[in-house]
Amino acid sequence: MLEIKDLKFSVQEIDQTGQEIEKEIIKGITYTFEQGKFYAITGPNGSGKTTFGKLIMGIYQPTGGKIIFEGKDITDLSITERARLGLAFSFQHPARFKGMTFRDLLAIAAGTDDEDALVKILNRVGLCSLDFLDKEVGAKLSGGEIKKVELATTIARNPKVAIYDEPDTGIDLWTIGPMVELLKKEQQEHNTTTIVVSHNEKFLEAADEVILIRDGQIAQTGPMATLLPLLQDLDFCSWKNICEGEYDVRCHR
Amino acid sequence: MLDAIDKELLKAVADLESIPKGAYNIRKNGKLLSREVTANIDIESNEDGTGIDIIVKPGTVNESVHIPVILSQADLFDVVKNRFIIGEGSDVTIIAGCGIHCGSDKPEGHAGVHEFYIKKNAKVKYVEKHYATGPGTGRRTLNPVTKVFIEENGHAEMELTQLGGVDEARRINEATLGPNASLLITERVMTDGEQQAVSENKIILEGRDCKAELISRSVIKDNSKQDFYATLEAREKCYGHLECDAIVMGNGTNETVPALRSLHPDAELTHEAAIGKIANDQLMKLMSLGMDYDEAVNHIIRGFLK
Repeated sequence: MLEIKDLKFSVQEIDQTGQEIEKEIIKGITYTFEQGKFYAITGPNGSGKTTFGKLIMGIYQPTGGKIIFEGKDITDLSITERARLGLAFSFQHPARFKGMTFRDLLAIAAGTDDEDALVKILNRVGLCSLDFLDKEVGAKLSGGEIKKVELATTIARNPKVAIYDEPDTGIDLWTIGPMVELLKKEQQEHNTTTIVVSHNEKFLEAADEVILIRDGQIAQTGPMATLLPLLQDLDFCSWKNICEGEYDVRCHR
Repeated sequence: MLDAIDKELLKAVADLESIPKGAYNIRKNGKLLSREVTANIDIESNEDGTGIDIIVKPGTVNESVHIPVILSQADLFDVVKNRFIIGEGSDVTIIAGCGIHCGSDKPEGHAGVHEFYIKKNAKVKYVEKHYATGPGTGRRTLNPVTKVFIEENGHAEMELTQLGGVDEARRINEATLGPNASLLITERVMTDGEQQAVSENKIILEGRDCKAELISRSVIKDNSKQDFYATLEAREKCYGHLECDAIVMGNGTNETVPALRSLHPDAELTHEAAIGKIANDQLMKLMSLGMDYDEAVNHIIRGFLK
C-alpha cells in the first residue's frame, strides 16, 4: 500500500576546504510496505533511518525517486496533504507549545473537541487521568509525558500509516513494554500500517519485518530472528553507533 | 442609549452584550453615559472631575465592577484618572477596557490612568482589554497607566490585553508590594501594519516574602514594532520572575529588556526572555495533524496569546 521507489535525498554541505559538496543521505531506497504490518527501521546513527521516515511524511522533500500511497503518487504532496490522506508521524523530540493544552492538540488530531470522544482516545492510549487533558503542552511536561502526548495525537488521527520516530526516547524502561503493546494493539485492531524507527530490541522483536538501514541504503530486511546474526556481526554493541550515546543502555548485548 | 457601534465596542472590550449586572460606569466620548452602584461598591466622580473613584467596602466578596470606556468622536483624546480603593479582606473582579471606533481621518485616543490601593488581605482580579476598529484612517492611540499598591497579604491578578487596531500604545505598569503580598501581571499585545507599542514596567518588591510575576506575550506582525522594558526591584526577602516572549512575523521589530535589581541578600529574582519566529517544529506538528500552514500559524498565535 506504500511503495517507495528509488528514493533519494541529499543535502548541500561545506567540506573542510570550504567547497560546497552534495552529501547523499538516502541513496536510492526501494521498498514496499504492506497494509497492516508492523515494521521496525533500525541502523546505526547517521544511517538515514529518521530521514527515511521524514521523507515518507513529507517533512523533507526527496531529491529523487517516488512515493506511491494506495496507488497515488504523493511524492510532491505537502505534509498537510499527506496527513489528510491518512499518514501520521510521531516526532522523536515533540514540539512544545506555550498556551496550548493537551486537549487542544488532541482535538485538532481527532477533529473533534467532544469530551466523550477525547476520553475514548485517552482510554485507547492508556492515559487514565482526565486532569492531564488540561495540562499545557509546554516546557513543564516531563520527557515521558510529552512522548505520551505525541503518541496519543498520532493515534487520534486514526492513521492508515503511522510512523513513530524513536518512540522510546525519554521513556523509562518500564514503560516501553506497554508502549510496544499499545502500538501492536493499534496495528491489530485498526489494521494500521506501523513503522517504528528504533534501536530498541522490544520494537525490533515486535515487528513483522525489520529493515536495517546502513549508509543510506537498505542493508537487509526480514524478521528479527533472521536479522539477529547480521546485527551481531555489525558489532551492534560496540554498537556504539547504534546505541545513541552513553545514556542509552537498551542495546543488544 | 447604546447604538450598534457602542455595543460592538462594549462586547470587544468588556464581553458585555448589554448593561452589566452589579456596579458599573460606562464612559463614552469623555462623558459619563451611565452608572450603577451597589450596597458594597460605590463609584463617585472625583473632586477635580478628571475621573472616578471606585470604593469597595471592606469584606466585599464575589462582586464585580465594569468600567468600560468607548470612543467614537473624531479628534478627541480622552484622559481619565481613576482610583480603586479595595477594602480589607474583599475579593472582587474589575473589568475595564477601552474601545475606539474611528470613522474619520482625525485621530482618537484615550489614556486611562488607574491607581489601585489594595488593602490588607484583599484580592483583586483586573481585566483590561484595548481594541480599536472602524473604517477611518485617523490614528488610534491608547496609553494606559496602571499603578498598584498592595498592602500586607493582598493579592492582585491583572490581565492586560491589546489585540488589534491600535496604532500607538505606550503602556506603563507600576506596582509596589507590601509584606506577603502577591501580584501576577499577564500582558498580551499584538500589533500589525505600522503599529507601535511600548510597554514599561516597574515592580518594587518592598515587603518581606512578597511575590511578583510578570508575563509578557507579544506578537509582532508586518512592519510593526514592540518594545518591552521591565524592572523588578527587590528591597526585602522576596521572589520575583519576569517572562517575556515575542513572536516576530514579517518584518516586525522588537526590543526586550528585562532587568533585575536586588537590594537584599535574600531576594530571589529570575527572568527569561525570547524573541523569534514561530518554531518550525510547532508548525510541522500541527501540519502533520492535518492543518494547512495558515491554520497552523493562527492556532499557534491564538494559543500563545490565550
